[in-house]
Amino acid sequence: MADLMARMAEIAVSRHEADVLVALGLGSCIGVALLDRASLTAGLAHVVLPESREGSAAVPGKFAAKSRLSAVLVGGAQMFATGASNSLDIGRRNEQAVRTALAVAGIPITVAVTGGSTGRTMRVHLESGIVTCKQAGSVEETIAARGVTTLRQAA
Amino acid sequence: MELNDMQLDGLREISNIGSGTAATALSSMLGLTVDLNVPRALALELADAVDAVGSPEDEATAVVLGVFGDLDATVVMLFDPESAATVSALLGVDPSDSEMALSALSEVGNILGSSYVGAMGQMAGLDLEPRPPVALADMLGAIVASALASTALDTDFALLLDSEMRVEGAQCRFGVLFVPSADGVSRLLAGLGLAEAA
Repeated sequence: MADLMARMAEIAVSRHEADVLVALGLGSCIGVALLDRASLTAGLAHVVLPESREGSAAVPGKFAAKSRLSAVLVGGAQMFATGASNSLDIGRRNEQAVRTALAVAGIPITVAVTGGSTGRTMRVHLESGIVTCKQAGSVEETIAARGVTTLRQAA
Repeated sequence: MELNDMQLDGLREISNIGSGTAATALSSMLGLTVDLNVPRALALELADAVDAVGSPEDEATAVVLGVFGDLDATVVMLFDPESAATVSALLGVDPSDSEMALSALSEVGNILGSSYVGAMGQMAGLDLEPRPPVALADMLGAIVASALASTALDTDFALLLDSEMRVEGAQCRFGVLFVPSADGVSRLLAGLGLAEAA
């Protein structure tokens, strides 16, 4: 099994069942996972800023059949407010920008574990299609399985 | 942004003076000697920046301090859980009372951060004002990445000035990170007379 890391502003993509796509320690950043419901293919983007080049929904271009895709979002927390004007609500603005980009691309969001003030780690398991989220100081939870949410409180 | 060796040396030196002043302030607060390593000036791609500081999923306690005035920057003091507990205990606060411990750490951060940016500003001839500190315990990656996102803006590159301090005779070591905005790097270099590529 290979862990493919999506670090800040990186995108990890795989169609190998042994792979796991990972975004460690998401704070105000957002992990955007796109899963193909009909094949093993999945991608994970680590979005940093609402208006950065990396945040402009670059992942959908890597897939052939957009209609089979669904998205899972994790992150977008407000870790701290330092008082600098540009630091205000980056997490929330990231989430809005990602939601807008996904809506434009016509990709539905299965589940979003976003907001709050806690860091999170996100894993996309290619083989099972399971997406997990682990909050700081907590256990890893499955939040989606192959495009179907497993969270009752999902937004 | 490309930085040459002379510019990186200048930034390392100003960080050395900032952290030296901060270590002295902390030392008189705790009544213990505080040692300091030679700081690192790291110009990195965003993707590499978090790994350069530590393991992203590690538990960390941080005090984060915004800097405003002639430039925008963020100062992040990073403690591992043991060191955070030690500092609280040294200040007479029960580390198991997490709220009180965070408040004690934020006081340490306030003193460290203000002396750090004060000395730095003096050396570069810049007016640098610290904002009130925020203390939190979370994943190291989430803290550092959020500090970078709030400061680094639209650049793909991050400059980190990273110092490590150790309190002598106590189980306590921590890092002090200074993260200037892209614009702030230019202003720091201009203040040091290193604006032109040498």
